[in-house]
Amino acid sequence: MRRYETIFIVRPNVAEDEIEAIASKTSAIIEGDGGTILRSNNWGLKKLAYLIKKEDQGHYVYVDFAGVPASVAEIERVFRIDDRVLKYLTVKISDSCDPEAVKEQLASAAPVPVTNEDDVAAKELDNVEEEQTD
Amino acid sequence: MAPKKKIFPRQKVCRFCADKSLVIDYKEVRTLRNFVTERGKIIPRRIYGNCAKHQRKLTDAIKKARQIALMPYSGPTQL
Repeated sequence: MRRYETIFIVRPNVAEDEIEAIASKTSAIIEGDGGTILRSNNWGLKKLAYLIKKEDQGHYVYVDFAGVPASVAEIERVFRIDDRVLKYLTVKISDSCDPEAVKEQLASAAPVPVTNEDDVAAKELDNVEEEQTD
Repeated sequence: MAPKKKIFPRQKVCRFCADKSLVIDYKEVRTLRNFVTERGKIIPRRIYGNCAKHQRKLTDAIKKARQIALMPYSGPTQL
């Protein structure tokens, strides 16, 4: 079992429940191969850094899972066929993964930072000051 | 001829070594943004004094962020 994370971008004009459907189809593929979903997040509509298929916005969906290489191949094959998916990226996090242990760790860790714009602005300001003293 | 002024560059410390809580992750664009120019180019490590290990991780993270359109290949980094 390896640990992967997948991000995929769905067209902005696709309805919320359709996105859910794509996400659950992905989960079904993973679980069908004996994998486990560790985390699944919808990041919502975000602006893209560059145009993809003439779209400048997209719904980002993030899935963190333990699975086998075959399920990654299958997920990506399905994404390539699906016109609603603009782009996807799968990254291997670790070669071996114990889903139970990771789940516990995730539960005990602080909730994943969906960073607040204000906090970030303050942080960036700090960084700028640091750079100036350099 | 005026004597050449000697410049002593201040010893720079890798920011990621100094602050262990700062993680390099391609999903955290806010951190990465500090290490690219306004046009989106990766800033060489001689400028901020990053260590080789962290600069390598940083470039990998920036390139991944570019692939999934979190950061631009070129163009303004502020969205």
